[in-house]
Amino acid sequence: MATAYYEFYRGSSIGMALTDSLDELITSGAITPQLAMKVLQQFDKSLADTLIKQVKTKTTLKGHLHTYRLCDDVWTFIVKNASFKMESNEVVTVPKVKIVACKNGDAIEAGKK
Amino acid sequence: MLPSRQVTFGRPAHVPQVTQQQYQAQYAQQQQQQQQQQQQQQQSQTQQSNGLALPFGSTPYLPGPSNLALPGPTPAAPSYPQSAPQQSQSQSQSQTLAATSQGSAGPSTPAPAIPSTPAPLTLEQQHITAVEGIVPTLQNIVATVNLDCRLDLKTIALHARNAEYNPKRFAAVIMRIRDPKTTALIFASGKMVVTGAKSEDDSRLASRKYARIVQKLGFDAKFSEFKIQNIVGSCDVKFPIRLEGLAYSHGQFSSYEPELFPGLIYRMIKPKVVLLIFVSGKIVLTGAKVIQPISRFYTYYPR
Repeated sequence: MATAYYEFYRGSSIGMALTDSLDELITSGAITPQLAMKVLQQFDKSLADTLIKQVKTKTTLKGHLHTYRLCDDVWTFIVKNASFKMESNEVVTVPKVKIVACKNGDAIEAGKK
Repeated sequence: MLPSRQVTFGRPAHVPQVTQQQYQAQYAQQQQQQQQQQQQQQQSQTQQSNGLALPFGSTPYLPGPSNLALPGPTPAAPSYPQSAPQQSQSQSQSQTLAATSQGSAGPSTPAPAIPSTPAPLTLEQQHITAVEGIVPTLQNIVATVNLDCRLDLKTIALHARNAEYNPKRFAAVIMRIRDPKTTALIFASGKMVVTGAKSEDDSRLASRKYARIVQKLGFDAKFSEFKIQNIVGSCDVKFPIRLEGLAYSHGQFSSYEPELFPGLIYRMIKPKVVLLIFVSGKIVLTGAKVIQPISRFYTYYPR
């Protein structure tokens, strides 16, 4: 693996489900913890690649930018009264949303130069 | 920052003629000049020759009757921050003056009551009165502060809101606040640059707020050496300006390279202000460290 991948997708619902399953398999003795780690690493990579290459859906976000921060190449935004407009013209509004944006894929490579 | 070039106060009668000669050189043909002289004399009589003359005249640096205007209120040119209706009133006054001078005392030209010639001076005079009311609006104030303590920028970037820190790009934290709407550059040395304020008070208040933010993050920040470094104002004189003519007559102060930049860059020596003058009549004033030379903009106008 050339580049390290972010592990924060493990906290998503699909990541949590995977972790739970792996835990179960380890406790039942079906797989070794080393294999489980390997699976999780592959999960990080696959999810990142999939989001870059295959997910084309877009949404537009509007709202009041309450706070922003850039530190260590990570942008953090807190948007108040945010409304997401999906491609299906569905609109979802939330009083507050926090966005954490990290560099991914090519951007990491570009940043290293 | 009063212009100190002023020499003659109780000015003899020949002084208005100096300005006339300048006008002659610049604008007019013989016949119009006679009318102008009369108009001017009449005007200068009514205005008690208030000493508002060409800033540097055609011979800059010579101590002489060429001078910047008296910023002080002169008897017949009333309160300077004139409102618009007053302006138009004085404009029409000067028009009627011009008309009467032609009708009664003018040379025996078959002139109608209203000059049929373009009468450039009359227009100029209107513009002079128009310029007097203009006070440029402040657009930006840049100030520096020394917080007088070393700062760990990463801590600031991590804990403060609305902060950006990308040391690969720029070695300072960029922080913004909403009121007064400003941006600060905070350096590890403890020096800080605050930009974007629209008034001196706002600039100071914003600087204090940034210093307080840094303090609250646990640094021993002080608020010292606050200094305004630059003030930018802008205004519109509402008439077109012939930049070539200005560059020619004020060559020592002007640089006009239309192929490089559409505006004329006028580096005024006293007060030390740089003006970007555009054909449209829009003017940007920059380089001032105190408000006065900008708010006294009207005194720059050549008369």
